[in-house]
Amino acid sequence: MKAVGARLPRYDGLAHTTGRTVYVDDVRVAGTLVAKALRSPHHHAAITRIDTSKAEKLPGVRAVVTAADVPKNVYGHLEALGVPADEPLLADGEVRYRGQPVAAVAAEDVETAHEAVAAIEIEYEERPALFDIRKGLDPDAPSIHQWGPVYPHFGPYNHRRVRKGDVEWAFEKADVIVEGAYRPAAIEHCPLETQIALVVPEASGRLTVYTCTQAMYFSLGVIAAHLQVPLNRVKLIGGTVGGGFGGKVDTAAETITCLLALKAHRPVKWRWTREEEFLASSTRAPWHIEIQDAVSNDGWMLGRRMLTLHDAGAYARFSPYGLTKHGFHHTGAYTIPNVHFDGFVVFTNRVPTTAMRGFGVTSVSMAVELQMTRIAETLGLSPWELRLKNANRIGDTTANRVVMQDPSTVPVTLAAAERVGERLGPEYTAMTPARRSGELLPEHLAAQQAPEGAHVLSNGGRS
Amino acid sequence: MARHQGRGFATIEYPTGMNQNGDPTQAWIKLKPDGRVDVFSGTVDIGQGSKTVHTQIVADTLGVPYDWVTMDNSNTDSSAVCTGTFASRGTFIGGNAVRFAAERVRERILDIASKELEIDPGDLEIADGEVVAKGAPNRKISVADVAGAATYNYGELISGQGTALKPFAEVNDDDGSVQAEPHSAVSYAACVADVEVDDETGEVTVSRLVQVYDVGRAINPVLVEGQIEGGAMMGLGLGLLEESYPHYPSAEHRGEQFGAYLAPAIEDLPELDNVILENPSVDGPFGAKAIGEMANNAQPPAIAAAIHDAVGVWVTEYPATPERVLRAIKARAQPRREGKRVIFDEEISLRTVSANGGAGFLEV
Amino acid sequence: MELTVNGVTRAISSPPLTSLLQVLREELDVLSPKAGCQQGGCGACTVLLDGEPRRGCLVPVAAAEGHEITTVEGLGTPGDLSPIQAAFHQKYAAQCGYCTAGMLMASHALINRNGGREVQREQVIEALSGHICRCTGYVKIVDAVIAASRGDVDVEKEQGLLVAEPSEPAVEPKGAPA
Repeated sequence: MKAVGARLPRYDGLAHTTGRTVYVDDVRVAGTLVAKALRSPHHHAAITRIDTSKAEKLPGVRAVVTAADVPKNVYGHLEALGVPADEPLLADGEVRYRGQPVAAVAAEDVETAHEAVAAIEIEYEERPALFDIRKGLDPDAPSIHQWGPVYPHFGPYNHRRVRKGDVEWAFEKADVIVEGAYRPAAIEHCPLETQIALVVPEASGRLTVYTCTQAMYFSLGVIAAHLQVPLNRVKLIGGTVGGGFGGKVDTAAETITCLLALKAHRPVKWRWTREEEFLASSTRAPWHIEIQDAVSNDGWMLGRRMLTLHDAGAYARFSPYGLTKHGFHHTGAYTIPNVHFDGFVVFTNRVPTTAMRGFGVTSVSMAVELQMTRIAETLGLSPWELRLKNANRIGDTTANRVVMQDPSTVPVTLAAAERVGERLGPEYTAMTPARRSGELLPEHLAAQQAPEGAHVLSNGGRS
Repeated sequence: MARHQGRGFATIEYPTGMNQNGDPTQAWIKLKPDGRVDVFSGTVDIGQGSKTVHTQIVADTLGVPYDWVTMDNSNTDSSAVCTGTFASRGTFIGGNAVRFAAERVRERILDIASKELEIDPGDLEIADGEVVAKGAPNRKISVADVAGAATYNYGELISGQGTALKPFAEVNDDDGSVQAEPHSAVSYAACVADVEVDDETGEVTVSRLVQVYDVGRAINPVLVEGQIEGGAMMGLGLGLLEESYPHYPSAEHRGEQFGAYLAPAIEDLPELDNVILENPSVDGPFGAKAIGEMANNAQPPAIAAAIHDAVGVWVTEYPATPERVLRAIKARAQPRREGKRVIFDEEISLRTVSANGGAGFLEV
Repeated sequence: MELTVNGVTRAISSPPLTSLLQVLREELDVLSPKAGCQQGGCGACTVLLDGEPRRGCLVPVAAAEGHEITTVEGLGTPGDLSPIQAAFHQKYAAQCGYCTAGMLMASHALINRNGGREVQREQVIEALSGHICRCTGYVKIVDAVIAASRGDVDVEKEQGLLVAEPSEPAVEPKGAPA
């Protein structure tokens, strides 16, 4: 009996349908304290004074932490990938978005925790804020980030570049140039389980962290880096999560809860309210995308110029990674031999944006596919045939020179057409993903095609 | 005032694994003395079903019944490194990690069975929990007996570990090129959206989504369907309903409750028609690619194209809320033509909005 | 005050305006209802009061006194599933599982209200309106509720594993063991 390909039941299905799955909020540890955070009410401000002494003295308050309590306050989640750090765990001297955590408290009950947050004395001096990424490089744009208006560390550049072929030739040669602008919105991950952590300081000195993270080892690294402890001082217990969609790659609640537990010497649970989840947790990024496509009257995509602005919010977090991925995939499911892509990660005073389902590429699909429909409309061609003609084929190369080995633009498009009874010309219905040749290999696509057998098969990462 | 039907479609691609790689998943497996299989993996199950899928992969790689396999992904002490559940990497990379570990366990089972049966390991195969001589089905030993012999006669814990890691692919910052493939596989999908647009209210209703996904191999077809259906509704939200900043770029007026933030609800559910294609990947587990993330990418542009088909206007700011649809209908904007240039969307372009015409962003 | 939950009456000490959800979870350790929003907006905390679905986060516990409260724990157990639980499992209506308890309770109430007749798709949509599921796209939830109302579930089969015949791969897989 084979298991692969079988409609086997969900491994945890019975637990889910009998209410027995244990999520972080269902873990019970005696003596657990409640955590609450003081969050910035301003989009951008200097913190001119903070005094937690009154809060600390309230009966029932067991710990108050601020930036001063964090062994390494500024740690970048992608430092290992060469993205430098810019975001503090707790705001230090300034706040850059509304909802940014400034301090956190642990108390015997939720009412006391709220009282303690209210008892923290804090003064701000508001600063001008920026929200429109298109104005990030305007002469009068406010200064909001120590690196300047855009992320400056794409090697020597302040933007991700993708260049291939001769884009000048393509625009010269084009019969028509189609230009469009596309703006996918920020959206919420909105999992039913809000961000949550429960941290138990063990007698051994280790921390047991019950976590909703989507990435236990990733979060383990983040926590250990902020706390400046080796990886065996922290044990994450998780693996079962009430919805993630990318937002729980952020390690949003775990580290601050660890600090509180260490300071209080007591278990501490921090469950974000739904309001916090909506207003202070990260979102999918808003994007601004402008495309100019050089096309021939018979529907060949000769070249593309594309400019993308990615709204990072207040800190870089995963944005440089997402933008690079966006650039790698900016031609969509099609082969365009001549491209010129520039992508910028622009800082604003909104909640830092982060990974969400389709990170970096959802925005490509939203922009490029509507652009393709517009091109077909402009040229008076079938939008199906336009896509099939320019489809990724075996041996074609991507904008960043990857040789395609098993592209499926053709099969999925044909299957969709068949399903809805779309009638296509016989030269299209007969198409396969096979290497381009004959009429499908016009001169302008010859140079981008890899020699037969050029692709070196990988081994699935076996090591 | 009328309701107009429209159809649009989109074709998309999406990579498997972290962009530029460098994202290991490691797993290890041990056998109990009765041959039952304990798998330790750090892959987090956020509902997508990785525990189920990984169990299926291990069962077939070993040749044991599915219900012999238990999966422990509960903590960082017993499991090895998994970079995480994101980048559509769970089935391919996490699945390869447990597959590679299971292959090593399989080698150990065959080696010990070989001693017990006095048959060369190459002449043995494992199916349904039994090690059987090829061509001589009566010469066999159960995996349970192999595990018992390992434990009590040979002094061996049958175990195996596997790591799936494609090394980090450096990018050339001048031109974005890479020397090595910066992903594990690429999946493709197409989506057809049928919509109805009310030209009085601007409301768009999606009546049907036809969706075709190439997932390489559907390890568990019903879990693949779950991703397709869940992704469809998330894509519908992206296309029509959801935005954190309803007056973007303003950061004010954010919804802070479900009544004010429009996550797709059950009444938004259109008819869904799902088609799963299997164009296997070269090196994924059993030919699998991925499904999770791409599942919300194709609907928004298909819906936007369908709106154009229905009422002849382009809504290029997502989501296509009733307000945006009505504004577009009212404006009836036509592209400006300048020589061979056909220019849409000038009003939102950087050149128009930025005080310096986009200097610094443009022409770099 | 006393509260009757899943047939068991217990004394409680929470103040009368405490939400029923809070009392169930924090005082009585009845953990299937989830605190998804505590705004009455997501439905994850839905429980039955005398058979009618109510949002646990909006009901002051004093208003629940004297009523029969039912949660998923009272519907069935892994060895003895109720039809709606068996249907949710067999039809894969749960993904992450966080909304599931609320969906189950509202669906169970709908089926009971319908007096043994097969529920229609429109009824499911009305009954589950305001129950947010971010994972499934609702398709398999609708299927499960209709199947349960029809008795189209095999409760016995759920005691063990469902083992379905696998599909044949469209193309011979390359990643399979030799």
